[in-house]
Amino acid sequence: MTPTFSAIASFSGPGEAGGLSSPSRRRQGTGTVGTHSPASTPPATGRTGPVAADPITLAVIQAGWTSAAEEMFAVLRKTAMSPIIHEVLDVGTGVTDGDGNLVGSGAGIPSFVGVLDKAVRRILEIHDSFGPGGVRDGDVFITNDPTYGGVTHLNDVVVAEPVFHAGVRIAWVASIGHWSDIGGMTPGSMSVAAREIYQEGVRLPAVRLFDAGRPVTPVFDIIAANSRLPAFASGDLWAQIAAGRRAAAQLRQMAATYGLDAYNAALDALFDRSERQARSGLRALPQGDYAIEEEQDDGAIWRARITIGTEAFRVDLRDNPKQRAAPHNTSRDGAVIASQMLFKALTGPSLPTTQASFRPLDVITEPGTVFHAEDPAPHGFYFETRIRLYDMLWRCLARAFPERLPAGHFGTIGGTVVAGVHPETGRSYTMVEPQMGGWGATANRDGLDCMYSTSHGDTFNCPVEICEARYGLDVAWKRMNSRSAGGAGQGRHSGGRGLTICYRPRGQATVAVGFSRHRLPVWGLAGGHDGGTNGLTVIRSNGDREDYGFASDLVVAAGDSLVIRTANGGGWGSPSNRAG
Amino acid sequence: MPGKTIRVAADVGGTFTDLVCFETDAESGQSTVRTAKADTTPPDYEIGVMNVLEKSGTDPAGVNVLVHGTTVVINALTERRGVRVGLITTEGFRDTLEIARGNRPDFFNLHYRKPPPFVPRRLRRELPGRMSYRGEEMRPLDLSGLDGIIADFQGEGVQAVAICFLHSYADPSHEVAAEAAVRDLWPEVSVVSSHRIAREWREYERCNTAVLSAYVQPVAERYLDRLRDRFEDRGFAGSLYVMQSNCGVDSLEAVSRIPITMVESGPASGVWGAAELGRLIGESNILALDIGGTTAKCALVEGGNVRIMTDYWIERDRTSAGYPIMVPVVDLVEIGNGGGSIAWVDDFGKLHVGPRSAGAVPGPAAYGRGGTDATTTDANLWLGRINRDHFCDGEVVADMAAVERTITDVGRRLGVDTDDAARGIVRIANNNMVNALKLVSLNRGFDPRDFTLVAFGGGGGMHAVALAKELGVRKVVVPESASVFAAWGMMMSDLRRDYFVTRLADLTPDEAAGIEAAYAEAVARAIADFESEGVSPERVTVTRFGKFRYRNQEHTTEIELDADPVSEASVGAIADRFHDAYEREYTYRLDAPVEMVGLHLVASAEVGKLEMTDRESTGASAEIAQKPGRTVDFASEGDHAATVYDGSRLEPGMRFAGPAIVEAPGTTIVIHPGDRVEIDGYRNVVIQVSDANGKEFPGSGAGAGTDEATGGSEGKGGVT
Repeated sequence: MTPTFSAIASFSGPGEAGGLSSPSRRRQGTGTVGTHSPASTPPATGRTGPVAADPITLAVIQAGWTSAAEEMFAVLRKTAMSPIIHEVLDVGTGVTDGDGNLVGSGAGIPSFVGVLDKAVRRILEIHDSFGPGGVRDGDVFITNDPTYGGVTHLNDVVVAEPVFHAGVRIAWVASIGHWSDIGGMTPGSMSVAAREIYQEGVRLPAVRLFDAGRPVTPVFDIIAANSRLPAFASGDLWAQIAAGRRAAAQLRQMAATYGLDAYNAALDALFDRSERQARSGLRALPQGDYAIEEEQDDGAIWRARITIGTEAFRVDLRDNPKQRAAPHNTSRDGAVIASQMLFKALTGPSLPTTQASFRPLDVITEPGTVFHAEDPAPHGFYFETRIRLYDMLWRCLARAFPERLPAGHFGTIGGTVVAGVHPETGRSYTMVEPQMGGWGATANRDGLDCMYSTSHGDTFNCPVEICEARYGLDVAWKRMNSRSAGGAGQGRHSGGRGLTICYRPRGQATVAVGFSRHRLPVWGLAGGHDGGTNGLTVIRSNGDREDYGFASDLVVAAGDSLVIRTANGGGWGSPSNRAG
Repeated sequence: MPGKTIRVAADVGGTFTDLVCFETDAESGQSTVRTAKADTTPPDYEIGVMNVLEKSGTDPAGVNVLVHGTTVVINALTERRGVRVGLITTEGFRDTLEIARGNRPDFFNLHYRKPPPFVPRRLRRELPGRMSYRGEEMRPLDLSGLDGIIADFQGEGVQAVAICFLHSYADPSHEVAAEAAVRDLWPEVSVVSSHRIAREWREYERCNTAVLSAYVQPVAERYLDRLRDRFEDRGFAGSLYVMQSNCGVDSLEAVSRIPITMVESGPASGVWGAAELGRLIGESNILALDIGGTTAKCALVEGGNVRIMTDYWIERDRTSAGYPIMVPVVDLVEIGNGGGSIAWVDDFGKLHVGPRSAGAVPGPAAYGRGGTDATTTDANLWLGRINRDHFCDGEVVADMAAVERTITDVGRRLGVDTDDAARGIVRIANNNMVNALKLVSLNRGFDPRDFTLVAFGGGGGMHAVALAKELGVRKVVVPESASVFAAWGMMMSDLRRDYFVTRLADLTPDEAAGIEAAYAEAVARAIADFESEGVSPERVTVTRFGKFRYRNQEHTTEIELDADPVSEASVGAIADRFHDAYEREYTYRLDAPVEMVGLHLVASAEVGKLEMTDRESTGASAEIAQKPGRTVDFASEGDHAATVYDGSRLEPGMRFAGPAIVEAPGTTIVIHPGDRVEIDGYRNVVIQVSDANGKEFPGSGAGAGTDEATGGSEGKGGVT
């Protein structure tokens, strides 16, 4: 039995060795990654200690990192092929320092912000263990596997590239995107029947895609051969490569303009400032020890204990169910990200996010549990597990200080995958769409109507006009839920409205969906009523109705209707106190 | 008046209404130019226009051509001064406008505010009827409920009706029928159908566009009517054109029907002015930079062409999703960085400039109107870059005590002295603008070193040279009329309409005939539109563009096509052009099928615009334009004793070198040490920029110490 695992979220604690790593890849116990003291930084960055660069120059360099990450995002959006990347923007882009500490991130979704640094650090562990020259200029790496730094599930592919200046590794540029199909036992790759990760698609274990500038063509070939949509896989891959190139060029130019000393001084100053911002946000929170126990739709009981002190924000997730031979597990990294999102929301949501933003955060997990799953656990629907974890941690603190946090939101990604053959073009299609729902009311106002989940961000729904043209299905209607009396989520301030959307396939299609809060409703706060539930109802052409929370390999035909309903958010305060 | 032609451009901006008047003698071809500025007078903008005309001594009765640009639309939108709108849409989709796209740019924030729709749910009504994405009628339009809807709208005080049905871009006949029925039932109301503005897919964007257009329509229509009446009352009998967001002008009648197309007309005319100026001086690759009081805008002109797109949003930023408007707008980047942008230090000791602006009231601290925040203008004054004894052309006594107080305050929070704080403000402002310029150049695969920077607006000349050094740009041109350049650009615009149509087709020989038919249909529509307004077909020039992508991508790359019809033989060449353009921007190409997603047609007709003449060098020395010199802090290069020139006395052919300052009406030009200046035949200030170390760039023209013509005189006389 592995001992209990505890580490600072930035992985700076010496106790991190063990845990996640697969037996064949030994983690290096550097104990320094994520700290900003020049003395403790590995020599790869070539730092020479504090430099007297003026604050204006430092600010200019710092703006460059953000701009590089944002540009990667823009390129990815314009060039990708999977609609879930270019339309839904289920992507993340980031710049780290030479050691994998996050310095800037682009738009996209918040739950991806904390992925890329972890991926880069894992790549470094695997490849720099070969000694100096292990990671070279012109290398590009690819990973999608939670055991190899992929964090999430096999559909999310990370492409990461080191950036060198004058022989020194000054940065990494990395992106993650949800590919429509990565192989596995069902179209879209996410099957509720998966018992092992091997059933969820091709595993890319942090391997080289380019070797010192030369493409490793067999890897490209393996990827294309393992996807049901090889043109999409190839298009998405090149989009991510191009995005990295754009950012890398900017960073190299920046280092050339300002020199390494100023560049490194700007890094130190940035980490220092974001740590101070985080600590200042932390000190503004009510200190205390808060615990929660919550039943899930499947009857499992989850538990968390959050301890807020002046110097640390600790999330203890040890007392939780064992990992399952079902695709509802998350890697420890995933659990850390759920905690990071809440910590960020509480300590300064609109401020820039870097590695140091999370220094006061401490997440404790138990290997072999659902929040620290080990190989070969399947992860296909990890995102539902993670959003419910975030929701539970949020609920834990919302009860403690209801003035600061909204009531629960609809609490699901609502991933909806429909695959088939387009009746007009004869080509295969795969729709992968999250769903929008209601957000919880706050102490000051009603909840937001029809937004994407907290795991999403600058995520766009697919226009009906594009959906009908691109896929072999029609959208019969899309309506917001009622806010009238009797609707879910009533309160002094009412929860925002969810929606119903009706898809009608024009030919046979295979469907997979995942809806949390299908049985147990969204939570109200401070006396507000609970919100609603989420789910899919299939109405067959003969009038039969079937209801689903999680499903895959569900076959539908022309004439059937897929009616998806998403929950209203929770209410805040007693409805009897509602104004007007 | 026989013997001369009078052309007037009047541009209503946020603070000032600018006027440029050219009076051209028919025989000699010589023009005299007058410019004037007056306060903008919201909400009755026409009063400001008449005032500025008066101020310049121009009699409306003698004006042959009037070109007008106005912020009436953008102001009505941002100040929420439009009318109550009712929306009619496809059954099952009345919530599309409110659901919007579901996105949340401020993504960690659990207290995000979603922008509310411009039409509340009770005024969003549905009609049965459905088109497919291929434009086939799946269910006929049922108008039986319309009477009740209109009665409700009337009872609710609706003043304008927007109509948007699914897939109307593919076949608008349901919208056409509904629009006619609304007009029958309620002739007085304004009606806007989405397909008349946009023929592209994405129902939320198109619907919001129709709604916002309806929202401003009565306001804009009334304004344009009042303006025309004012002019006609004063005996005006010339042609009246209105500036559009696509860098063209259009007739008052056409604009009154769809006024939303004016939404970004001011910035568009500046960009167009830069492109036209480029044609005059033989520069086809231009970075246009417009620095005003609250924002800086930049755009790229490549090969003489500006890029026009329909991906335009208002009120969109890092904290809000904003609202889309799907009309042709010049592709520009706008940032909150102008002369009035406020410098501030955050809780963690970091200096920022903008996006908040001191505006016109209280304005920069130097205005002495109670402004307590340091602005970029204040920093420029403190560093001696702006003449503290001749502030605002001598109309304002600079309150230097207030400037010192506010900048010292910034310095105290940064832990530096007043001088360093002022330098810091200028450097941060410059860096913000450099990043914006990179967005329109480097990030689209263009090297800024291949471009000439044309800088205008009140603050363009102040920062342009420093930005050029940072980007490696070798030549900066500050136009003679820099401070009223948007008005100048309007005067140079053609009648222009951009037609964007979604048309999905594989780019293969089999599809060539269908693609050509789509172009032919759009061309015929463009010609007919112009003809209905008395512009004969032979005056209309049509340029074809296509939007292409690799199959399965969503976003497209726009390619200019030849004028010849698309044929089986030509699709290969079109595909090659797409692959090349794609690779330049994104570094790779794919061996994948290419798809056409839509066409873009530019139809334009000349409206007898101004022809500029190039004047010979007068041979005079620049010394005669000198004013007393002063010490100027160049922020990046420190203090230097600078020669100061009176811009109004500079003549063609004069040459001088930096460190220097040119004080022209409405603007100040900062010329750094090592830079060389020549005044060209149009009285533009042309600056050859040395690199950041004070050395001239290789190939920038003049050898040290010689008086040979520098690059500024190349390609003179390139009048279009």
